[in-house]
Amino acid sequence: MSLLTIITLAISIAVLVAAAVVLVLNPRLFLLIYRNLGRNFLRTSLTSVAIVVLVIMVTMIWTVVSFLDASTAEQSQNIKLIVTERWQLPSQMPSSHADYMDPEKPNAILPELKPYVGKDDFMTWSFYGGSTEKDPSKRTRDNLVFMFAMNPEHIRPMMDDLQDLDPKIIEQMQKDESLVLLGKERLEMMNMKVGDKFTLVSMNYKGIDLKFTVGPVLPGNRYNLMGIMNANYFNRGFDTYRTENKNQPHPLENRRLNLIWLRVRDKDAVAKVGGIIENSPTFSDRPLKCETASSGIAAFLDAYRDLLFGMKWLLVPAILISMTLVISNAIAITVRERRTEMAVLKVLGFRPLQILVMVLGEAVLVGGLSGFIATLGSIAIINWVFGGIPFPIAFFPAFTVPLDALAWGFAIGAGTGLLGSCLPAWTARSVKVSEVFAKVA
Amino acid sequence: MLKTIAIYLILVFFGLVMLSLVLAVTVSLAVSLSAIVYRLIPGPNVPFGYNLRNMFVRWKNTVVTAAAFVVVIGLLVVMLAFVNSMYRLTQGSARPGNLMLLQDGSNDESFSSLPPTVELGRLPMDVQNAIPKNKDGEHMATKEVYVVVNQPIPNAPPSGKQRRFVQMRGIDKSWIAASVHGIELQDGKWFSQEGLRKIAADSASGKDFSPTALTALAGVAAPAAAPDDRAIEVVIGAGIAKELGTDKDITTGKPRGTIKVSDILDIGGRKWIVTGIMSTGNSSFASEMWCRDTILQEQFGRRNSYSTFVIALNDPVLAEKVSKELKNYKELSVNVMTEKEYYANLNATNQQFLFSIIVVAIIMAVGGVLGVMNTMFAAISQRAKDIGVLRLLGYTRWQILVSFLLESLSIAFIGGIIGCALGYFLADGVTASSIVSGGQGGGKSVILRMSVDAATLGFGLLLTFIMGSVGGFVPALSAMRLRPLESLR
Repeated sequence: MSLLTIITLAISIAVLVAAAVVLVLNPRLFLLIYRNLGRNFLRTSLTSVAIVVLVIMVTMIWTVVSFLDASTAEQSQNIKLIVTERWQLPSQMPSSHADYMDPEKPNAILPELKPYVGKDDFMTWSFYGGSTEKDPSKRTRDNLVFMFAMNPEHIRPMMDDLQDLDPKIIEQMQKDESLVLLGKERLEMMNMKVGDKFTLVSMNYKGIDLKFTVGPVLPGNRYNLMGIMNANYFNRGFDTYRTENKNQPHPLENRRLNLIWLRVRDKDAVAKVGGIIENSPTFSDRPLKCETASSGIAAFLDAYRDLLFGMKWLLVPAILISMTLVISNAIAITVRERRTEMAVLKVLGFRPLQILVMVLGEAVLVGGLSGFIATLGSIAIINWVFGGIPFPIAFFPAFTVPLDALAWGFAIGAGTGLLGSCLPAWTARSVKVSEVFAKVA
Repeated sequence: MLKTIAIYLILVFFGLVMLSLVLAVTVSLAVSLSAIVYRLIPGPNVPFGYNLRNMFVRWKNTVVTAAAFVVVIGLLVVMLAFVNSMYRLTQGSARPGNLMLLQDGSNDESFSSLPPTVELGRLPMDVQNAIPKNKDGEHMATKEVYVVVNQPIPNAPPSGKQRRFVQMRGIDKSWIAASVHGIELQDGKWFSQEGLRKIAADSASGKDFSPTALTALAGVAAPAAAPDDRAIEVVIGAGIAKELGTDKDITTGKPRGTIKVSDILDIGGRKWIVTGIMSTGNSSFASEMWCRDTILQEQFGRRNSYSTFVIALNDPVLAEKVSKELKNYKELSVNVMTEKEYYANLNATNQQFLFSIIVVAIIMAVGGVLGVMNTMFAAISQRAKDIGVLRLLGYTRWQILVSFLLESLSIAFIGGIIGCALGYFLADGVTASSIVSGGQGGGKSVILRMSVDAATLGFGLLLTFIMGSVGGFVPALSAMRLRPLESLR
């Protein structure tokens, strides 16, 4: 659970406990708070709608930011490592580099690595991208496809969010190497369905155009726009290229491996495995670097750091201030209109503290409920209807609103309600009966 | 099935909401404009002083409502300044008469690897003749290798960022590349043709900058790939000079300050000596480092491989014509595009950011509109008797509407103008890092200087007007509909 969720959950619980205390100690006051909201239905509705839209905005921003924060947070166990070319991007390594880390190649793997990398702790990625359209002038985003070429056996143990992929699909990929798993949105963009066949004109490996059969759809949103293909089929493309080009290798044949993924137990293993790989003379022709996945993602996201900083520390505070002002304004107007009523309540025996609690309660109730409704709606509509927030940042296709947001919404609404109503509530508490009735008289 | 129906219903609901919003905005704007015009025509009107006095009497509400506008408009100005600067940067990087040749199928320098056959001499003769020459008879065309280098940040704090990506461009003749891209040096000089310099003995400061000495200070192992002790000469953009200046000095532990000529950098296991700083204005080259092509190729495993071949034709029409000709030229299998097209492709992220900003602005504007509505509804309910008196004095319904609408517009403009000023002070001249990309991977990390122009401020005021109009229209309508006798009762 993130720090944000813990804080908002704590605020939500505190508010709920306070509400329960008021309900138990003074149920009539609680009822009064509830009924007061219905007295100027228009004002309550306008305030509520303002809170709902602003909380939706904050929820969307926090969804993106918290996901990215989680992606870059260092794990303490089962840590994934990315091995890439040390100095440049995109990383393009000889495919033989992977053999020295592959636990299933006992004769090739570096002996020092053996204790750290288990059978299910290894995978490689080669990026293969192209278009279904031969004519370059007709190529659009809709007919471009980007795939990870990898060993199907590594999908379930190593790919995030694909642990539950049906093992039969893996078998299918091994039987029919041309089978490609595509994301839902990619399939829709290509206007294709399972079983369809297509040829991809490669854009990053010119001359290696491959024929594919559309396999089962990749689950979830994470791989919505991508595809996964069998690495054997990809490698076979290079053999075919040789055959068709008088045994001439493809210019990028020796640079076709992009990433190697490893998984190690803990931070000690990270340091050791990193040291082994980075200092091994085996890779001196093309030096490698080994870093945790979170560190790699963080480096990649660095280009967005000012944008993310702006979202976190400019946009969100501005929205929260805006919400506080809207609530403050509405409550201040309410208090001013009800000065006589406050005086009457005091005459009837209400103590200043009770009046303060009543006004604060009105703001917290309208804020908290509106915030909760906003996040509930966000989860339902953004996740269900739109399949996540399609914010274009780094390589993440869409961000789904987490369930944690329920705590965020309530806490934001109630918190800004509390903050915005402090001054008006203090004014209401300080109403002097003699002054009010002197004016009335 | 149920889900599909629900999705359609939700989409229909949102469609109707959007339609109502568009309708409400259109009507409000039309009425507001008419109200302003009407108010400017001499004739009987509710005195504006009446509205001003009321705004002062309820100054707390006026201030709070205006403050909401300050926040919304201030933020909008900052966000628009950011995106506008990104657009300016991509546009500023392109020279309309330049033509770019990339690897066939590649739309990005990062992924382009030109075949060795792409040479000036392999171009059609008429194209060769069309390329202007400098006074020494050299063609204005340059083959460039572009590499994104992973740089471990020197002396990085353990909990902080450990590495960054540095964009490096290798060129052959610096004077030609500078002329092709329109780049001048603001300080220092271009690197020599050898591109290497002995630094241990000839440093002006007298300090020992040899790789051995520096690596010993940094406490790291000596780089394995360093073939000799000479530093690579490099010219760097003003933006990246500032960025690299945030690194902590090995000896003092404090940020070393903007990189200057003769400073030494540690990238890719080699020492790099800065010979010049590029005055690149608003272009992506401000975020790049330039050195000799052969050295860059050797250093980063790109031997004999170039990313782009840039031809300066100095005439946009001619560039378009030659682009078409080369696309049909079968002897060269390359992707040809004008530099303008190339950088326009990099606007994909800008467009996405702009769309996001519009969404944010609309949502925040809704909040502001509802705030001003609350204020105006309260003002009207408190001033029902005033309205009754005004009506009895002979003011028409339309004049009442104009009076209240102008009051809400006044509050909005007070907030909007302050918001514009706040946005200007927050964003103008501020440096920010971002990325420009065609949305298909790759792209360029850029360091941009944000600037708030008149169009941005104008847009802020336009949104202020829209928010004030929509927020004030419905309450003003309800004020207009009040019956004099009922309101006085």
